[in-house]
Amino acid sequence: MKQILHIFLKDARRFWPEILVSLAVLTAFIRIYPHTWLDADRMEAEVSGFSRVFGGGAMGFLAGTLVVLVPITWWVLISRVIHAERLVGNTQFWLTRPYEWKKLLAAKFIFLAAFLFLPFFIAQSLLLVEAGFNPFHYLPGLLCNLACAAVTIVLPLVALSALTSSFPKLTLVILGIILFIAGVAALEAWLQSDSIGSVSGPFGDYISFLVILCGLGAAIVLQYATRKTLISWLPLISTAVLLSALALLDPDQALMNHTYPRPTAGVAAPLQIAYNADPIHQPPAFGPKQEKDLDITIPLRESNVADGYAVVSDAFQVTIEGPDGSRWQSPWQATDIQRFLPGSNPFNIGFRIRRAVYDKFKSVPVKLHIAFALTPARAGAAITVPVPAGDFSVPGFGVCSPQGAWFGDPRAISQISCRSALRQPPLTFATVLWTQESCPASGPAPLPDEPASTGVLGAAWAGTLDNDPAEFGITSVWQTYLPFTNRAVNFRPGPTLAPNLICLGSPLTVTQYHAVARTQADLDIPGFHLPPIAKEGAYALSIETR
Amino acid sequence: MNSAILTENLTRRFGKTIAVDSINLAVPEGTIYALVGANGAGKTTLIKTLMNIFSPSAGRAQVLGACSLRLSGRAFTRIGYVSENQEMPDWMTVRAMLDYFRGFYPTWDRDLEAQLVRQFDLPLKRKLKHLSRGMKMKAAFASSLAYRPSLIVLDEPFSGLDPLVRDELIEGLIERAPETTIFLSSHDLAEIESFSSHVGYLEQGRLLFSEEMAVLTERFREVTITLRAPAPLPANLPAAWLQPQTVDCVLRFVHSSYNGEPSEAELRAVFPTATDIRLDAMPLRSIFLAIAKSGRNHAPSAPGQTPRGNEA
Repeated sequence: MKQILHIFLKDARRFWPEILVSLAVLTAFIRIYPHTWLDADRMEAEVSGFSRVFGGGAMGFLAGTLVVLVPITWWVLISRVIHAERLVGNTQFWLTRPYEWKKLLAAKFIFLAAFLFLPFFIAQSLLLVEAGFNPFHYLPGLLCNLACAAVTIVLPLVALSALTSSFPKLTLVILGIILFIAGVAALEAWLQSDSIGSVSGPFGDYISFLVILCGLGAAIVLQYATRKTLISWLPLISTAVLLSALALLDPDQALMNHTYPRPTAGVAAPLQIAYNADPIHQPPAFGPKQEKDLDITIPLRESNVADGYAVVSDAFQVTIEGPDGSRWQSPWQATDIQRFLPGSNPFNIGFRIRRAVYDKFKSVPVKLHIAFALTPARAGAAITVPVPAGDFSVPGFGVCSPQGAWFGDPRAISQISCRSALRQPPLTFATVLWTQESCPASGPAPLPDEPASTGVLGAAWAGTLDNDPAEFGITSVWQTYLPFTNRAVNFRPGPTLAPNLICLGSPLTVTQYHAVARTQADLDIPGFHLPPIAKEGAYALSIETR
Repeated sequence: MNSAILTENLTRRFGKTIAVDSINLAVPEGTIYALVGANGAGKTTLIKTLMNIFSPSAGRAQVLGACSLRLSGRAFTRIGYVSENQEMPDWMTVRAMLDYFRGFYPTWDRDLEAQLVRQFDLPLKRKLKHLSRGMKMKAAFASSLAYRPSLIVLDEPFSGLDPLVRDELIEGLIERAPETTIFLSSHDLAEIESFSSHVGYLEQGRLLFSEEMAVLTERFREVTITLRAPAPLPANLPAAWLQPQTVDCVLRFVHSSYNGEPSEAELRAVFPTATDIRLDAMPLRSIFLAIAKSGRNHAPSAPGQTPRGNEA
């Protein structure tokens, strides 16, 4: 232990500038990121990707930059501390000093724990406090997020630093890996050109996580124990090959019947799906990629979802059978997250098909078989709250903030954004009443005893059925915009075109859903004719009819 | 006498290049062993293999009784290693470096450290990266001697140093000599001749000989034979007679197996018409030059010793 602390203190003394910069960036991130919550009305998309990081004007851009800078400071810090006792080469002073490799590795780990993991953990906790959450209630999620950061960012950087001799060489290797990943992605897109979106499953998530953990961990331990760099690259290369194989072969496809069991005989399907033969809904096929592939949209209608339930369509698989017995089957591919409530609603699914396959079946009636991977979810108790002027907590969902109206009316709200801790909130259906008139001048209206019957209903889905304690992110606070329908335009008669508004005190009703099982549902469409190819420049107009 | 370093057919290859070729070496405890050889002879590779910086491609080595492959961690509390091309923690001051290294060695002698600092006139507050080459080497020496190692391994320690610094370092080494084994490499014979007790000669990865310095200088003689009349060089001269050449009536060669009266008798028997036979002791430099120039394919050896891989 004495040697571990000795090396740790040496590194801490030496790298205090790098440590300070890293902490300063993290502190700036904690200070600036919450400002983006105030600007959420500028976000146009639901929580995801680029818009989540860079949305929200100047503050959003700054916060987004800091989200990128945090791992960059880790990159520098990790490289500096690992290369201080670099393992590649034969002229380092420490090779002939009484360093014990286990203690050296432990000293580096303690350094990262003290100056990377602990500040990150504290930063995440402080962000939770700032967002209105008690971090002690989210310890599993905080630790899970820390583990994700360790495995997806820190561990690869430590492994690559251990296998390189300097920061420039590390940077070159990272650039090489980025090129490799781009190559694998291109190969994956080429090999799976008849798939629009891959399904997620154990191989895509947990197995890959374990592969990274074991492969990179082995490379680090091997390098520290033996300093045989060429041999130590083997686990790293094996990890890359294995991950590439998992990405290319997509073994989760084979597990879909296990993840979503086939419906048992005599048990009613959670919903009915029928082909929507109405001619107005017949979109053509589109040809991206110089018409090597075609995207075909099938209009459908769902019904018979039981009261108190919702059904989420996670993925589907299309099979085409020709009259001569020839057959084509698509891979399982993710849908654009379809969620169905009791009632009957039209919806579309789109799948990609190779031009050659299309040409083969286009002129004959085929049997179209579509298998859906479904997750029925039971509704919890509906909670109705009057929309206040400031932040309000929605139990089990998060802390929500009404956003100001476009035209500066202090009594009116244009949308609601909500913050959740460490992950997207549970799957939730929210409704609100839009007003088509000006909001009353008085304060918040009392909550009505009966549901309001006037105004336009706005409905929104938010969240996910996943129940992981955390989704990996540099920030611990996820922001979800409630994309209420019927928000954008008020077609009321008059000289001006104005948006609908939510008045203070207007009731907001949220209902959470929890997955109860997973299953499949089938749809057969006999005598189906593949749609004709759209002329160049044609486009489809989809109309929300909820 | 126990060996501080013992190798058995030790070989190290880099691809197709054999840097160290089947070396059998024994360095007795308490000796100052100088490994000499030209640049590229394999000295540094041999030392790094002994220090477990490189793994042997074949054969094995023992250092202080332990297999060289197990040489790590605590084993280095008994070994001091200084190399001309060793990277030091340049960002540290001399004091910080000594403070840092002190924490690794249970036997670190603070009095000896202070003495070495005084002896080498080390500027404690200056960073290593701001020190001259000589001063940096002195700092490395101080940090490798202060814990009284049982074995000090020095790879070209005096290379490129001015004579004053070199003498200071040698003086520091000689003071430690009674309590330790010193194994050093050098391509400069003059700098090791004065204080080494044993010497080994490495050429193209092979150990041509390895023996006590006194024995080596004793068995080499420069032989000058004056003949009555000019004569061609006799055929089938003994292999131990190196670089034979004749000029008029004078025949000269280096006798690498001289053993006193029997050798002189042999000379008289081979050259019965010689009017004069003179045998001169040779300085170490001349001995090595003779070896280096004598075909480089056979190893001159003392009677009873194998041509190469000798034990001292």
